[in-house]
Amino acid sequence: MRRSGRPSLRRRQDMDTPDSGGKTPLGRKTAETGINFTSSTRFSRGLTFIRGHTLFGQSPTRRIIPQTSLLQENADSQKIAFLLRKQWTLYSVTPMYKFSYDNLKEYSRLLSAFVAAEKQKGLAVEVGNDLGIKVTLSTILGLKGTDQDQVAILVQIASRSQLPFENAEDKVVWSGWFCCISGDDLLESVPEDFTCLSLFLANGAESYTAIVGSWFQKTFDCYFSRLTISPLNLAWMAAMWTGCKVDSHIAATELVFSVPCIPQSLDISYAIHPEDAKALWDTVQKTPGEVTQEEVNLFMDCLYSHFHRHFKIHLSATRLVKVSTSIASAHCDGNIKILHSKHLIGVLMLLTELAISQIQ
Amino acid sequence: MSASGRRRRGALDSGFTMDETVAEYIRRTVLKIPRHEIMEMLTTWDFLSKTQLQTINMHQIKESISQEVVELCEENSASIKQAAILDMIYNHTYRNKKIWTVYRMTKAAGEETDSFNLADFKYNFKRSLRSALKNVTINFREYEDNATWIRIAWGTQYTKPNQYKATYVVYHSQTPYVFISSLRNRIPLLCQALVHASNYHDIHEMELRSRCLDSLKDIVFKRYCQTFQTYHPRPLQERNVAPEKVDPRIIQENKREKERIQSVNQEVFGEGLQPKIEFAQYKLETMFKGEPEMDILTEKEPFRCVVKFSSPHLLEALKSLAPAGMADAPISPLLTCIPQKARNYFKIKERKGILSASCLGP
Repeated sequence: MRRSGRPSLRRRQDMDTPDSGGKTPLGRKTAETGINFTSSTRFSRGLTFIRGHTLFGQSPTRRIIPQTSLLQENADSQKIAFLLRKQWTLYSVTPMYKFSYDNLKEYSRLLSAFVAAEKQKGLAVEVGNDLGIKVTLSTILGLKGTDQDQVAILVQIASRSQLPFENAEDKVVWSGWFCCISGDDLLESVPEDFTCLSLFLANGAESYTAIVGSWFQKTFDCYFSRLTISPLNLAWMAAMWTGCKVDSHIAATELVFSVPCIPQSLDISYAIHPEDAKALWDTVQKTPGEVTQEEVNLFMDCLYSHFHRHFKIHLSATRLVKVSTSIASAHCDGNIKILHSKHLIGVLMLLTELAISQIQ
Repeated sequence: MSASGRRRRGALDSGFTMDETVAEYIRRTVLKIPRHEIMEMLTTWDFLSKTQLQTINMHQIKESISQEVVELCEENSASIKQAAILDMIYNHTYRNKKIWTVYRMTKAAGEETDSFNLADFKYNFKRSLRSALKNVTINFREYEDNATWIRIAWGTQYTKPNQYKATYVVYHSQTPYVFISSLRNRIPLLCQALVHASNYHDIHEMELRSRCLDSLKDIVFKRYCQTFQTYHPRPLQERNVAPEKVDPRIIQENKREKERIQSVNQEVFGEGLQPKIEFAQYKLETMFKGEPEMDILTEKEPFRCVVKFSSPHLLEALKSLAPAGMADAPISPLLTCIPQKARNYFKIKERKGILSASCLGP
């Protein structure tokens, strides 16, 4: 992969993304994230990304409510079931250069070797001993918002079964997947050789996440960065997800607040009965098919004011750190758990938007 | 004297072989104890002689220390009773590792309080439990503050008691209060035995739970004092300190407001140290009523929610909210009433438009 021939893209290095609150992106050793990706490139930007509705770096004032889109016909339901009810750590990924869906087998082979090599560093091992680790890259069909979206990719690290019999199953020790749902704005402005899979979700040991991330960064000249979720966006999630119609496994809408600036730490969990939360949201939300910032603010203010009436505490002065609803739960550190396949696309669409806004 | 050269003749002579389960239990109990506490606890235990204790090599890994202790116990023919006592000593020292629930016993109307007889209590308690369940291990230990600790290991009709999931009961005989931890499904049995043995009529669970046993005692025995700290004495803090040499051109905005907040906060929380509890839970079933301009829900149904506060030291954290600007002063009585009402689980219902905490049952 020669550097000279390709167009250059620069990430805005000096400006903190508004949602990051001053955290340093990966690439330098950070004690907070605990991951040390060795990024060998800095790329310069010759193009500007322009988002449809928003100014640079600002949160949108309105969002379309995703129609509960059934997953596409050829959806891989077993793989998709695997994605649900698991805790995933979120990353944003810049577009990958010269990634090809035809070479997945080759990538699997290379990544297996890389993982084995990294794991063996410092150990005295026989040459050729592969430590029983196998990496597979595969596509996940059906995870698309629009037709222009790139097909999602699943990466799994499995340790080979030590058992002697033939059909002994390998045990998956780490999983990660790339997707991009309705990433139209980004796709339009990216040149041909680039693949946009802006959202990455990882489950498993952080050491594996670091190794896999380093390989992708080196091979496709992209950049991974931890995707944290601001209290503002958590409030959006609380409002939008409370409004979703759910038929089974209904759970309370729970907001968890952490109180800063006092000597003893204090956490406040505020859980609202799902029917009552939805009733409140339905009264607040006026425009069909669309959610506005004012509506989200009003919803949250109503909840704060009901709380204040009882406890005389201003929740608005505290920090919203976690939101749990029937369809998904999200934590400000950038962790997500999705519970219903019906709303998977909607949740991923919102997360893709956050990821893209972080990379711009 | 090395471990390998230790005599085991004592055990063989007497023909006693310590039960393997007892040996394992002692070994695991010693392993739990932090290294620097082991010698002290074994001394308090008073089961191994001074000479025996001196032979233990404390400069080896804990696995080896516990192994040596087991071998010494073998020499002394330890039974489950002695092992249980060691466990009680450990759990008394580390009582804040468990979550304690408070129970209160009541007398029937007209009954008089008899004078307490410890021997009768122990006898009646054991008899009551054993009549219902043969396989139990029961141990007692008294402490200076009139606290009687009871350790119960539960078995079933066919199985021996599980020593690793023992229940602990702390009973202060001069009071109707009992503190119970680690109780799973033997509540009626235990309650019946307690009531019977202590000559009370009834017992019920209070809505009060915490890890800090001493704070729970402070709350129910009213040993904290809201206005003036009478226990854990500290020297009085100077209130009117000489003013620092500050530039007179610097003025403090809202100085009066800040002082008002401080004094109101002191009034509702008291000056003393707050009892230590870790959580409080409120089940709210009140009507939704926002600010007048957000008269949103016109529902006639209550807005149901559950609010949980948690903190390593909840009451101190709540006390610091108003001065930090995150709460009004005075803060809600729902929060400040926790020590007085001796509860940290509440159900709040609407009562004719006035907010009140009804002390409903659980």
